Amino acid sequence: MNYFSIGFRNILKNRRRSLVTLLSVGIGFASISLFAGYIQYVYGGLAKQAIHGELLGHLTVMKRGLRTEGRLHPAKYMFTKEELDRITPILRQYPHTRLVTPRMSLSGMVSNGTASTVFVGEGMVPEDVKKLQGGFERKLSGDLKADNPIGVATAQDLGRILNLKPGDSAALLVSTVTGQANALDVDIVDDFNTGNVGTNDKFLYLPFDLAKSLYDFDGAERLIVLLDDKAFTEEARTQLTAQLQQAGFDVELKTWLELSSFYAQVKRLFDMIFAFIFSNVFIVVVMSIVNAMSMTVVERTREIGTLRAMGLRRSGILRLFTTEAFMLVVLGCAGGLLVTLLVRFAVNSAGITYTPPNSSNVVSLMVDLDLPRMARTFVMLSLLGVGAAWFPARAAARKLVIDSLGHT
Amino acid sequence: MSQLEVAAGSPPETDVLLSLNDIRRDYVLGEAKVEALKGVSLRIHRGEFVAVWGPSGSGKSSLMNILGLVDAPTSGDVSLEGTPISKLSDNALSDLRSQKVGFVFQSFNLIPVLSALENVQVPLQIQGVGAAEARARARQALKDVGLENQAHALPDKMSGGQRQRVAIARALVTAPAIVVADEPTANLDSENSYMVVKLMRELNRAKRVTFIFTTHDPRLLDLVDRKLLLKDGLLQSDEAVR
Repeated sequence: MNYFSIGFRNILKNRRRSLVTLLSVGIGFASISLFAGYIQYVYGGLAKQAIHGELLGHLTVMKRGLRTEGRLHPAKYMFTKEELDRITPILRQYPHTRLVTPRMSLSGMVSNGTASTVFVGEGMVPEDVKKLQGGFERKLSGDLKADNPIGVATAQDLGRILNLKPGDSAALLVSTVTGQANALDVDIVDDFNTGNVGTNDKFLYLPFDLAKSLYDFDGAERLIVLLDDKAFTEEARTQLTAQLQQAGFDVELKTWLELSSFYAQVKRLFDMIFAFIFSNVFIVVVMSIVNAMSMTVVERTREIGTLRAMGLRRSGILRLFTTEAFMLVVLGCAGGLLVTLLVRFAVNSAGITYTPPNSSNVVSLMVDLDLPRMARTFVMLSLLGVGAAWFPARAAARKLVIDSLGHT
Repeated sequence: MSQLEVAAGSPPETDVLLSLNDIRRDYVLGEAKVEALKGVSLRIHRGEFVAVWGPSGSGKSSLMNILGLVDAPTSGDVSLEGTPISKLSDNALSDLRSQKVGFVFQSFNLIPVLSALENVQVPLQIQGVGAAEARARARQALKDVGLENQAHALPDKMSGGQRQRVAIARALVTAPAIVVADEPTANLDSENSYMVVKLMRELNRAKRVTFIFTTHDPRLLDLVDRKLLLKDGLLQSDEAVR
């Protein structure tokens, strides 16, 4: 039996019904593909923002317990200089490591001489900041100057609170590792926007050596590892954790995904929205196919009887109608793919921008092609489309041949 | 005499193609039981050209459905070429129909989206015959019914007579043992009716295919070898015509 030929011609024969079903499948597929493409672009942007914009790198190496007990017993959970000298080569020998750089976080008060406010500071090696930023376009971190050992960069809202601009001077007051007060004068050399209204009035970046002086500790709190590609993150964590433990270090390696709570929250939210939209579109599409195929099967009951009388087995009847439903899904998805490509081109060319919630940056509205998700959507639509035809076809195939032949 | 098992001058027993023994067929309509066949026994021999006639409601279609293996009797035995069919599975029965039985329907029952040639190919495709061979055999079958020039026409572009000739070509293309035709002329005018039955008769003689059909038209009974009169679910007469 030439099931494809019969299926295709029946699709053409029932033009109006087929068109409605194809539109339903096509628009459903395009909606899912476009939304999947949009959130993929957002995920990609958020990943870049976390790794390169927030300077998290791909992996953060720290002593086990730092995040829970580190504030109470800082010296116990910091890497000493000797430890750094032993750990850094182990991290560098991983083939995809591009950069290993130390970090020191501290907090305290920043003052312009007349007023002061709290700051959350991050000490980092000025030369490594550029490498960590890579090609990230938006300025979420300040540029520190290698030739100015007391040059700091302030988040823009923090600068606004104290009326501090690049070129001005300020004073930082912090607690040392032993709890003593320590103050140093600094120069403001740059400002930046963290992209988050919750941190843009607190963040301050300072040179790693300056942070060590302020904290009065010759070591580092953490080590940041930048890899060639984020795809190696898990593999690197597994291998490096094993090697560091073998070398006698009780450390934990956190990935950028684990440390960027914003990424995780946004992804959870978008994944839930996607699941909601996906299930709604899916129900509409499947109901449309069920409706079309049920009508087709009923209308062709006599044809079913004729084919059964001529010796076609029940399985052949099932194949006949499931093939037709599969073709409807294939044609609908092909149309949906075309719509997806056209809309994506139009959106990406339009230069649409918007400000995401909880963000102080304007971002572009762009749509990627999420091919794995599109492929999964096609497979699921095909399976459910075939299932939608299978049930009425099965009922028709199980009828007595004489009842099918006598159907009017 | 309620049952006539062997017609006068009938062929030898070895030529029996289809054998029906005390066939009963009951239907349930609502709460009522309808006895369509009340114990019919008959034998159809190879190469026969048989007409079943009788008034409406006499059980002709019920008998044809059982002869065509598309329905099972409520009781009684049916054998095709000596093989009892009552124990066959649905798939085995489908395969048997595909190999041994051709159908011609009152309403032609052609697949509307397929051309005449493609319609005739369908039984061969069901058998799994290759595309080239199926096309060649379908063309020959259409030629046999005089429709080689209409091979690519769709059914709705053809007259009733032409459609029924396509249906006859479709029924014969697999070289079945028997062609079962239930009221093949009911939707045709008298001229086309006569032509269709005449064509069936010619093909019966040329290909030695057994035909059994039902009709109301007494003129057509002159063309057959044997006529079976069915009345009230019983075989009233079984008469050799020539």
